[in-house]
Amino acid sequence: MKKILIALATFSIVVACGDQNKKKDDQSSTAETTTSQVVNVYTHRHYEPDQNIFKMFEEKTGIKVKVINASADELIQKMKMEGKQSPADVLITVDAGRLSRAKDEGLLQSIESDILEKEIPSHLQDVDNQWFGLTKRARIIAYAKDRVKPEDLSTYEDLVNKKWKGKILVRSSSNIYNQSLMASIIANNGEAAAKSWAEGVVANMARSPKGSDRDQVKAVVAGEGDIAIVNSYYIGKMLNSPDAEEVKTAQQIGLFFPNQNDRGTHINVSGAGVAKYAPNKENAILFIEYLISAEAQQVFTEANYEYPVLESVEPVKDIKEWGEFKEDKLGLNKLGKHNKKAVLIFDEAGWK
Amino acid sequence: MKQAGNKSEAFSLKTRIKRLKRDINKWSVLTLTIVFFLALPIIFIGVELFSGPGETWGHIVKYLLPDYIWNSFYLVIVCSFLVLIFGVSSAWFVSRYDFLFRKQMEWLLILPLAIPSYIVGYAYAGIFDYGGSMDLLFRQLGLEFIRIDIMNRAGLAFILSISLFPYVYVSARAFFLNQANNLLEASKMLGVGERKTFFKLMLPLARPAIVAGLVLVLMEVLNDYGAAKYYGVNTFTTGIFRSWFSLEEPQTAVYLSALLILIIFTLILFEKWQVRKIKFTSSKTNSTQIQRKEPKGVMQWVIFSAVSLPIILGFILPVIQLIYWAVITASTVFDMEFIMISLQSFAIAIVSAIITVFFALLLIYFSKWSTLTTIKNISRIGVLGYAIPGAVIAIGIMIPTLALDKWLINMLAKVGVDSGLIINGTLIALLYAYAVRFLAVAYNPIDSTALKVDNSIPDSSKVLGVGNLKTFLKIEFPLIKTGVFSAVILVFIDVMKELPLTLILKPYHIDTLAVKAFEYASDEMVMEASIPSLFIIFTAMIPVIFLNKLLIKK
Amino acid sequence: MLTIDSLSKSFDKGKNFALEDVSFNLKAGQVCAIVGESGSGKTTLVRLIAGLERPDHGSITMGGKIIASLDKFVQPEKRKIGLVFQEYALFPHLTILENVLYGISKLKNKKTRAQEMLDLVGLGNMGSRYPHQLSGGQQQRVALARALAPEPSLLILDEPFSNLDTMLRTQLRNEVFDIIKKTEVTVLFVTHDTQDALSVADEILILQKGKVIQKDVAANLYVKPNTLYVASLFGSTVHINKNLQNAFRCPLKQDCCHAIRNEKIIVSPSSAEADCEYITAARVIKKIQLGDSTQLVLKLESGEQLTVMTQDQNIADTIYVGFNSKDILEFEQE
Repeated sequence: MKKILIALATFSIVVACGDQNKKKDDQSSTAETTTSQVVNVYTHRHYEPDQNIFKMFEEKTGIKVKVINASADELIQKMKMEGKQSPADVLITVDAGRLSRAKDEGLLQSIESDILEKEIPSHLQDVDNQWFGLTKRARIIAYAKDRVKPEDLSTYEDLVNKKWKGKILVRSSSNIYNQSLMASIIANNGEAAAKSWAEGVVANMARSPKGSDRDQVKAVVAGEGDIAIVNSYYIGKMLNSPDAEEVKTAQQIGLFFPNQNDRGTHINVSGAGVAKYAPNKENAILFIEYLISAEAQQVFTEANYEYPVLESVEPVKDIKEWGEFKEDKLGLNKLGKHNKKAVLIFDEAGWK
Repeated sequence: MKQAGNKSEAFSLKTRIKRLKRDINKWSVLTLTIVFFLALPIIFIGVELFSGPGETWGHIVKYLLPDYIWNSFYLVIVCSFLVLIFGVSSAWFVSRYDFLFRKQMEWLLILPLAIPSYIVGYAYAGIFDYGGSMDLLFRQLGLEFIRIDIMNRAGLAFILSISLFPYVYVSARAFFLNQANNLLEASKMLGVGERKTFFKLMLPLARPAIVAGLVLVLMEVLNDYGAAKYYGVNTFTTGIFRSWFSLEEPQTAVYLSALLILIIFTLILFEKWQVRKIKFTSSKTNSTQIQRKEPKGVMQWVIFSAVSLPIILGFILPVIQLIYWAVITASTVFDMEFIMISLQSFAIAIVSAIITVFFALLLIYFSKWSTLTTIKNISRIGVLGYAIPGAVIAIGIMIPTLALDKWLINMLAKVGVDSGLIINGTLIALLYAYAVRFLAVAYNPIDSTALKVDNSIPDSSKVLGVGNLKTFLKIEFPLIKTGVFSAVILVFIDVMKELPLTLILKPYHIDTLAVKAFEYASDEMVMEASIPSLFIIFTAMIPVIFLNKLLIKK
Repeated sequence: MLTIDSLSKSFDKGKNFALEDVSFNLKAGQVCAIVGESGSGKTTLVRLIAGLERPDHGSITMGGKIIASLDKFVQPEKRKIGLVFQEYALFPHLTILENVLYGISKLKNKKTRAQEMLDLVGLGNMGSRYPHQLSGGQQQRVALARALAPEPSLLILDEPFSNLDTMLRTQLRNEVFDIIKKTEVTVLFVTHDTQDALSVADEILILQKGKVIQKDVAANLYVKPNTLYVASLFGSTVHINKNLQNAFRCPLKQDCCHAIRNEKIIVSPSSAEADCEYITAARVIKKIQLGDSTQLVLKLESGEQLTVMTQDQNIADTIYVGFNSKDILEFEQE
């Protein structure tokens, strides 16, 4: 028994050291040649397809992509603590709010890139060129086709209407997509209106908020409520799920894009910025530029059912079927600005 | 002679100082160093407390705190109740009775420990979901599906209990197997019935062992983040994350952690008080193994079901659900990288387990050799890491190590060497964090086996002219081996499952299975998370079975 | 060879003293028994001498060198003291031979020495066994061999026989001390049993509640005990309290404590036959035959009860008891 343990320990140390050595090799090789061989990416995007894009980038440029995956909040904390020594070159988040927060914390830098500035619609990038949107996702209303007429739906604001009492399903307010939606309502309608909106929605909720966006969709089909506030790409994912039940579920719901007759549907972006102390700034810019190249954008939309920011790239078939929609052109910086207020309002309104 | 003076003089300040000078030795200094090293992250968090809470503290107290307190209280009560029922009953039945598949069930009962509770949470949500496994099953049988909503507070309490009860099972069974036989025989001689013997004799005597397990469970319950978040239950830990990240106020998060730590300390003090009480009663006699009875008639089936129920709920059902998901997602998720990640997880877990156990041994024995009672008490600070949420520890580690890194970089820059971060973002910081977080997990089994070694044994060695270190290597270590190995295995399992700390501190290009599973799950790809989850379970299962062998051998 | 000077030890920071102001000397080659009830501080005393505890006050000097005081502390492993515990404390994972070898690993001829020691204690052929395969008496002999192997200058036996049954313990005690005598080592022998102490010790030290009551050769302890407690340790003794003084009409010094040895109490059928200064009539209320002697429970004239021993087989119902003033033991009031 002792021998087994010793053997295991030795083996493990060898493997662990192997990792270390590999790492050292990486470092030394980069040190020996030029430092322009790597790009260090801090990303909140945990999507498998992203790996493919990184690989494609590596093949194309020879620049190695090193990834740290964690939530954007943790990455921002990490970068703050690391300060000047931070190895991060690029920060990728799944919402604009966190990017503008990173900007406010002085963690990003302005970059000059004609490609990025030209290709990305202006409301989807930072005014100071500190961050850029990569993909869009819309926060839409999913409804039970058999129980709800789309004509009855109109705006986010209309959700406080008495007719939706006990019918609304939505996830917890700790979720960033809800926080961003609330921030956009604060920006558009003001704090007081936002608060009474939150209270109205809470009063109409079918159940206490819990689970994921997908769970809200399932609950609509199960009849727990009639409508759910969810992100568009989850519906796309469900329609293409390996689980036949999920596909069936997703087929039973309809998509509604709210506020088409006024400001447009709330959208958010997954975006990237170059870190303030990026050791490989040039590579970082190349990397972000690659992420909005047609081939990368194609992967984003095909594998993850997100809307590409590049207008020349067609969204994948499932999304296209939902049709074109008018999007809220609110400057996304505002989402970061109002994020904290949004959380406080949620708490006050009792939105768990 | 100086009769009158001696007594008061012996404890005058002057004599005390003289004695302190005499008694302070290298072990005292070393113990303090290790305690400082282990407590450093906690100290840094403690220092944060002095800078006051953030501006939203009032907001939190008004709108959220009552909910956090009530939910945490609810979870503590309900989980204690369920865990005691599952853990103690199964421990008693497998120690006292012989029945079909008993041997297999003995180790199957430990297996729920191998599944992180958030994964059990995902699995159960999947089972009871609309379009989930239960739904399908009912439809196959042509029945109306009665949907059970498990995603609420009660459901969370169930999930946590069913995945954590083995802590109580393990410690209660160790007591029943090793200590109970003499008492049981005495009770039988007095003609006391089976049921009364259990409730009047066994249960009260096993209480310290049971409570020790229960305290571990409750710490895990209070620290749970993944399952509580998914089930929409606001607890202290979700609150810490919310105020830190959503409200952008680390100071407020630190205040909430401090409150949580306070609750946990109360639990620890409760345990200490329990153990203290029993020290007067337990005897050191080496008891023989318990004599098992064969239950008859209906009892046979009652016991069989009572023991298999927690196994089915805590292990078999969730694993079946995960396997089902794994089968339908295997083609998209599984690749060779997985083998590599599994190996890395395994290696990291075993290395950190060995390091953590090493520190626990140093702490236990250095403080013992230091002869100063104050030092012994101080050494207990070293085990507090377990009471603190992983994410908070990660930050507590980053503050001092980054300062050290910056200092080192400056020093190196002076001699003309350009260097990046030396400790952060490497395995060193991660292993350090695991050691801080899991020291208590290693400390307890080692400490309790060490207590079983009579003091006269190391004393004889010393009187025979052998120093502390050599005595430890030649005499004490061989005698506490089982405790040390159990500690290695327990830390190994915990590291395999650990998430928030790993997320923040892990180096580039090193992935663990837990991180992989979380990446999928946090992107609402719960099904895809099943394969890494199953890998965690199977990697952790091997040592669990190993651990059981150790316990039985004893 | 061993000097203890005003040694004190408290385990609760001065509230209670396990050992209080203990001082005594031990000559080389002597066997000194430490006698006391449990809780009297015997074990604390030997642990202090062995270096397993640290004194709160006072000093221990061995072979002219201070080994423990307020500013000095020699580690137990440097003290060259042999110690045999009540619970044997053999290393369970080592064989008998390995146990004995343990303390002499630096010796050149350690194998021969260990074997010699095992032969000495009569277990020469059991070296390859493990402690749990041995009986209690055998284990204790191994412990002795292990303690003697490094040739300690002082051997401490801490209640070595109290885990054994009566028959075995007398036999083993004699064996052990025969062995010890051959080695000429200085011995501190801790026991709660006066018989043990009397049969082997040159000198006996009496501890009570952490204090030394008396240290003397055995004969003196019998003849000139310092306290009633010491007197009763070495022979059954009757405390002559106020009531007995009245019963025998013997006025004794106030502020002192008096006692009489049971065998000095004279029992006779008539007052004339008894040759004693103080005498009184008594009625026998109970007779207990104890082998060749008889225990009598008497009711004295005054109504007091008294238990005495007699060799006389034919005891009438009414008898006379008495004693002489020269036999009265006088102590300072306790």
